[in-house]
Amino acid sequence: MLLSFADFNKNENQFIARQGQVTFFSYTSVENIEAKNNQVLSILDTDTQEVAISMLMRAFVFKKDLMYEHFNESYIESDLYPKANFRGKILNFDTKTSEKQTKIIRGNLNIHGISKEIDIKATIKKIGESYTIYGEFEVFVNDFQIKIPPILSSNIAKSISIKFNFQYQHYEE
Amino acid sequence: MKNNYIFNLIGLFFIVFTSSINAQDLLDKLEKEFPDKPVYEIATFKTTRIGLGHSIETRKKGALELAIYNRYWNIPNFEGQRFLADVVSTRFGLDYAFSDNFTFGLGYTNHDEIFDGFLKYKLLKQRQNSKKGFVSITLLQTVSHRKLENTNGNIYNQTTSSDDKYGFTSQILIARKINQDISLQIAPTFIHRAKNPLTEDPNNQFAIAFGGRHKISNHASIVSEYYYVANPLKTVDTYNVFMVGVNWEVGDLLLQFQMTNARNFVEDTFVTQTTNNFNAKDGNFHFGFNATWVLQTKKKKLR
Repeated sequence: MLLSFADFNKNENQFIARQGQVTFFSYTSVENIEAKNNQVLSILDTDTQEVAISMLMRAFVFKKDLMYEHFNESYIESDLYPKANFRGKILNFDTKTSEKQTKIIRGNLNIHGISKEIDIKATIKKIGESYTIYGEFEVFVNDFQIKIPPILSSNIAKSISIKFNFQYQHYEE
Repeated sequence: MKNNYIFNLIGLFFIVFTSSINAQDLLDKLEKEFPDKPVYEIATFKTTRIGLGHSIETRKKGALELAIYNRYWNIPNFEGQRFLADVVSTRFGLDYAFSDNFTFGLGYTNHDEIFDGFLKYKLLKQRQNSKKGFVSITLLQTVSHRKLENTNGNIYNQTTSSDDKYGFTSQILIARKINQDISLQIAPTFIHRAKNPLTEDPNNQFAIAFGGRHKISNHASIVSEYYYVANPLKTVDTYNVFMVGVNWEVGDLLLQFQMTNARNFVEDTFVTQTTNNFNAKDGNFHFGFNATWVLQTKKKKLR
């Protein structure tokens, strides 16, 4: 009990990534869509082995500007749901080893105002006093109630692949 | 023994409780880390035209818009049987965005044989959650040259000089996205046409354009426009232009369907020279169909 109180207001075990990268891809025979966000925020707590990620949907950059407008206006509705976030726990996280480790991060992914439990496989590297976490996973457009009109259903993949890469530094408020 | 068990349970509860608070705490911490950058409204209107006239929207750098605007109407007591409608007027248009804020466009209307061109500059962008940037403002300047005589042509004085056939329209487009669904636009309009010495018609006219859209789904919206002319022509009866229609977006293709009394496409003609009112009488009812295809000539590199 005492221990669990003790780790309140303690920052030396917290790490932040301010320029995390999240890229998503939709591959169909009609059209490939790719977008990248370079301003994703994330906090890693090595004490509780927890991760939190938050990003602005409007910060995604597309190859075509019209896609940016469609993404924000017609699909993700970023006026109503400006952010996507994730919080979860790294299972069996070894915070000491400097070897590359592949772990499952179990948590809740929130996109378009819909929350969904998800397991993400991620690779974690400890370099000196900082951590790097990267990986790739898939989400289904349907799971997050993103509506695609039938006439455009061949342009947007049903499953979107998401890549992420975070480099954490010591967190100072 | 039992006490110990309860104590353990409480202890466990606290550990679970504090760890779940902690995760929430992490997200709250991130909330404070977001840089305080201005967020500009996008898609006040999805098209660069509300229907008849321009909206505040300009395309992003490198976008090429190819457009075909059609207007169909009937001639009252017409004896023939033409396919679809008695008259079809089409404007072929091409717009190119030199930068995110600056667009240049050209067009040709086959029925009234009018060439037109315009420059459009986005001056101010509306901002989200800020007292600055309450509205978006875009400036528009058009030039048109007509081959045919004015609709209010004076048979005693046919203009022959090419100079008399130019028309100029200046508009200040002011729009606000009220919420996700509703956007409104108001546009003070100044129209200059060459002088006709035999008539009392003003060659400078003032009008105010009102426009709005209401989204009915993520891909479709109902739009409407009305033009109030402050000093209408004196030699012929003209009516203020009204339009109601549906804008529908299908990927790169934007479709607009409209009912209106406007016959022409270029501002200096339809705003001040519309000689029929908005009703369902033969010859007054005009159906419009616009198709615009947006082509991205420059693609962004994702770094």
